[in-house]
Amino acid sequence: MEEKEVKQTLNDIRDMMSKSSRFQSISGYSIIVVGLLAAVATLISAVVLGVENCFPCSEKLQQCAILDTTTRTRYIALIGMVLFVVSLLTVFIFATIKSKKNQLRFVLDKRTGQMLLDFFIPLVAGGVLSIAMVMQHHYGLTSSIMLIFYGLALINCSHYTYPILRYLGYAELLLGLIDCFIVSHALLCWFLGFSVLHIIFGIIYVILFDRKKA
Amino acid sequence: MAILEGLNKIFESKIRLGIMSVLVANESADFATLKSLLELTDGNLASHTRSLEEAGYIRCEKKFVGRKPNTTYFATQAGREAFAAHINALENFLKECKS
Repeated sequence: MEEKEVKQTLNDIRDMMSKSSRFQSISGYSIIVVGLLAAVATLISAVVLGVENCFPCSEKLQQCAILDTTTRTRYIALIGMVLFVVSLLTVFIFATIKSKKNQLRFVLDKRTGQMLLDFFIPLVAGGVLSIAMVMQHHYGLTSSIMLIFYGLALINCSHYTYPILRYLGYAELLLGLIDCFIVSHALLCWFLGFSVLHIIFGIIYVILFDRKKA
Repeated sequence: MAILEGLNKIFESKIRLGIMSVLVANESADFATLKSLLELTDGNLASHTRSLEEAGYIRCEKKFVGRKPNTTYFATQAGREAFAAHINALENFLKECKS
């Protein structure tokens, strides 16, 4: 009887410490959805860029895809921005639902604000850099820059949430660095980083944190 | 009971133990955060933080954010040590039970 009580107390302490110090509202399912969205964006981009032999599409589609470089760049930038906004919304909506369900706090307190700041500073820096490079017609390294800065952003904010997020950051960073040296497979690397890695990581995250609680 | 030696009287209350858990795990916490985490009323939380303050385990800083008073709590070094000692005592108790 006493033993049970002591065990319960220790568990309560542990729960309270992690509940108060970690941002646990991020849902694993939203990470998977973001990965799937990125896959869709990759497919659309492949059509816009007119990647040959990418997938068996009709001649007509190929002909539509023959656009001049400026138009292509505009389309790709538009796809990227839409994907960015939709992904953020997805994560936010899933997080709201999850925190309501598990009665976690999901308020803009000092810690959440700090976490968002730590996440967005590297991300915005990378974003501005890649926009600048595209505007100056240096397209080659855009995907690596996006991957590298996204990886750094994840590593930078990982200590506010489950530390495992750090490994996704390392993976993105490594992929981005490899991508620097690989010419002409930018879209593939981008797809691996933003879609495949997200889906794999999302599944691991769901198994580790979301299903255990249910 | 001899086994329960080293347990701290102040931490007998679940609420005070909860407050300490939050403050040890985080650099600091303000009144509203503590209130929502521990699901307490203003008066209840205030009386428990006062007793922890009197024991010298936590300290508070009062500031005004605009016109609103804002109290932030920190665990003191003595508080951290007492908290660690209390947990050690609990864990030792469990070990003794097993053996």
